[in-house]
Amino acid sequence: MATPSESDRTEQIITLFLHKAQHAVLASRIPHLHLSAPRPTSARDRWFHLALGDLPAQIGHHGAVMDPLVVDILLTPRGDADDPTGSPEAVVERWTAQCVPPSPWSAAAPHHPHDGSWHRKTYKKSIILLRSLYALLRLLPAHRIFRLLCSSSQPYNYDLSYRISSFVAPLSRAEEAELKQYSFAPVETLFGQLVVSVQYRPSLANFNLEVSSMPPMIITDYVGSPAADPMRPFPSSLPERVSRPIMHQYPPTGIRTSAAPSFDRPHSWNSTPLAHHPLSSASGLPVSEIGFLLPENYGHLVPNQRPLGERKGSSGYNELKLSPPLSTSASPSPPTRGGDSPQSRFHLETAPVSIPTGKSQHRSPNLSDPFKSLLPPPSPRSTRADPYCQESPSRSISFRKSEGSILGDVYSNFHIYAAHKGLKDGRDDSGRFSALSSGGSPRYGFSRSSSRLSIQDDLDDGDFSYPFAVDDVDTSDSQARSFDGKEASEDTLSHKSPEFGSSHKSREAEVGILVHMLKTAAPLRQGQGSLLSSESNAEVSMSSSVMSRKTCDVLEELQSYKELKNLLLSKSKSGSLDSVKQRKE
Amino acid sequence: MNCETCQLKELVVVPTEIQDVLRCILHTIIFHRALGLVRPKDVECEHFELTYVSCLPYNRSYLSYEKIDQFIGWVEKHPNRKCQVCLSFYEVKNKHATWFGNKIERLYWEQWYINLHVLNPKSHGKSHYTKAPVSTGGKNASEESSSRHAALESSLCEVLFQIIRFADEKKDHIPTVQNSEIISFPFGISTPSSSDSSFGWHADVLKRMLQTGHPSMLS
Repeated sequence: MATPSESDRTEQIITLFLHKAQHAVLASRIPHLHLSAPRPTSARDRWFHLALGDLPAQIGHHGAVMDPLVVDILLTPRGDADDPTGSPEAVVERWTAQCVPPSPWSAAAPHHPHDGSWHRKTYKKSIILLRSLYALLRLLPAHRIFRLLCSSSQPYNYDLSYRISSFVAPLSRAEEAELKQYSFAPVETLFGQLVVSVQYRPSLANFNLEVSSMPPMIITDYVGSPAADPMRPFPSSLPERVSRPIMHQYPPTGIRTSAAPSFDRPHSWNSTPLAHHPLSSASGLPVSEIGFLLPENYGHLVPNQRPLGERKGSSGYNELKLSPPLSTSASPSPPTRGGDSPQSRFHLETAPVSIPTGKSQHRSPNLSDPFKSLLPPPSPRSTRADPYCQESPSRSISFRKSEGSILGDVYSNFHIYAAHKGLKDGRDDSGRFSALSSGGSPRYGFSRSSSRLSIQDDLDDGDFSYPFAVDDVDTSDSQARSFDGKEASEDTLSHKSPEFGSSHKSREAEVGILVHMLKTAAPLRQGQGSLLSSESNAEVSMSSSVMSRKTCDVLEELQSYKELKNLLLSKSKSGSLDSVKQRKE
Repeated sequence: MNCETCQLKELVVVPTEIQDVLRCILHTIIFHRALGLVRPKDVECEHFELTYVSCLPYNRSYLSYEKIDQFIGWVEKHPNRKCQVCLSFYEVKNKHATWFGNKIERLYWEQWYINLHVLNPKSHGKSHYTKAPVSTGGKNASEESSSRHAALESSLCEVLFQIIRFADEKKDHIPTVQNSEIISFPFGISTPSSSDSSFGWHADVLKRMLQTGHPSMLS
């Protein structure tokens, strides 16, 4: 007779095994549930020593321990669901996992030792069983379709969807005839045998998988960047297709036809750009319930009969030996990505052919980190190991754009930022410019509503400097500012940066001098006048170089210039006197 | 504890395919026997439309590819031969102090034999991956090569099925996990090139037998 704790442990193993098996199947067959980027391994994810990430909370085996888990993988034709001539969806795989109790007429019940080692053996064998299941998922023909759908940026005429149930619905004779069966070796448990099997189509050649012939969506009234014409009014209504290109990818026909209200296209600089989005809370529909409105061909979700939160046991793993996590009082922690679950279904995997404005990519409800769910899953060949927070700078910038920055200014300022980033030596990249680096949490450099202000802030830092010193020598006002030592917005530049080497200053100064000389060149004089003009040009160049130096240096130079001036004047006077004398003679 | 042995189906390969085939098979086997916490990664075969699972950390050379390279070099010297690559899982038992030092005794509890028939590429035409222009005479050779390649892909898929079935069915002999490493049990790969003698892989088999004793004694 098994002890109560062993029974609980076994029940926990079986329950979590079913959940994990379901997770493995769905993550390997449904493109938008495929989580390729590494995630922090949660305690629950450590079960069976196979870290797969976390599935959305709504997707789970909600039946009893002894209820079978049936996961049907369907190949659904894309197109109008109301079209009677379209081919129906087909079951390409059926995965069944169940704990089968021993038959009452069995000759002898297996002897289970009462030393607590039984559930450890069960656990170890379950680990291997899961490994086999996971490896087999990659060998079956449906995996090729999955890879194709994941890696292709164009939509295909078929989609992969799923159906989860707690009973084995009979298949038609035709389907049964086309399916082949593979059964894994059962694992003995206290409650019976844990049996996993799969029925699969050995060949999918009958399904003519090809790129969808749908015409690309053209936004006829595309308004372009708001930077071009901010005052241009948006049209009051837009076709649903145009406004929600993402929704068009996975054929949630129900959503397409009935759950999609028309709405005004929001401005990118709106304070709440997502207010009109159907998935936002403003639409009146809680995000968590949207998943259950999906049409049949997308996936049936079994009603929540018994929440997993009621299961006993913790999900921690304390022992070196293969034993399931110890059962404590706490219930298993919920998946860490539960909040993102509705969004994970609407991944931008096969991007529609539309003009990317950055707005459609950022359609998410009020989530703490909406950027996480908007990554297109890479192809399985991808070796990208970056967590989703390690975004490319361009994507980061486009996301920030939707929060109010102007695209044109963003990119121009990004260019300036990039130039400055290369110039600075000791700047801390963990702050503003972390979006440009390859690691760290996504902090975005353009964290102002106007990108110009972000430059402003950087200018106020004091270490910022323009690569070109044109403005330094532009006007007398700027010169006066430099003498006064004020840190004006455009003038905090090179002379405030101790790191800015003299080589930079001299180069910039030279450029500034040259420009200023060209602008303020005095008319040429003949003879002695040429000497004076060259001297005045020298004065101008020297005065322009003064601007890039400190005040004290400038004052010193001013004095020297005064002396020089006096000398020149004296020379000119003596020269003029000599000429007068010569004339008299 | 008995030593379970699995003889995998023979694969007919050319030298350019050996690396891909061996990596696919070895990683699949190790994935079933590395019982530590892993984050599996899909790897696509270079020459075949197959995906296998790898669980080994990328930055560590748990799987020594040098041996595979050595094996390929050996194959090139001994073309058109049948050979075996053996992946063995063992336990480290008592160290026996001998005159020559401490000898580590390995008790093998599972061995996988990968049987390869390596063809001479010159006699069987170039692979269809070549971009060289194909004359009428070479057209038959490329067709033959393509059909051979397709047959190899199908055979490799069968071998992977065989590995999954064997690893899943044979679980009772697996020893107790003693650590929390990814690689729960040490393993070794032996190839004919590891002992480059005229006996080839036979010498390796003999060596192992002498070192470990009869498998039936490992209980």
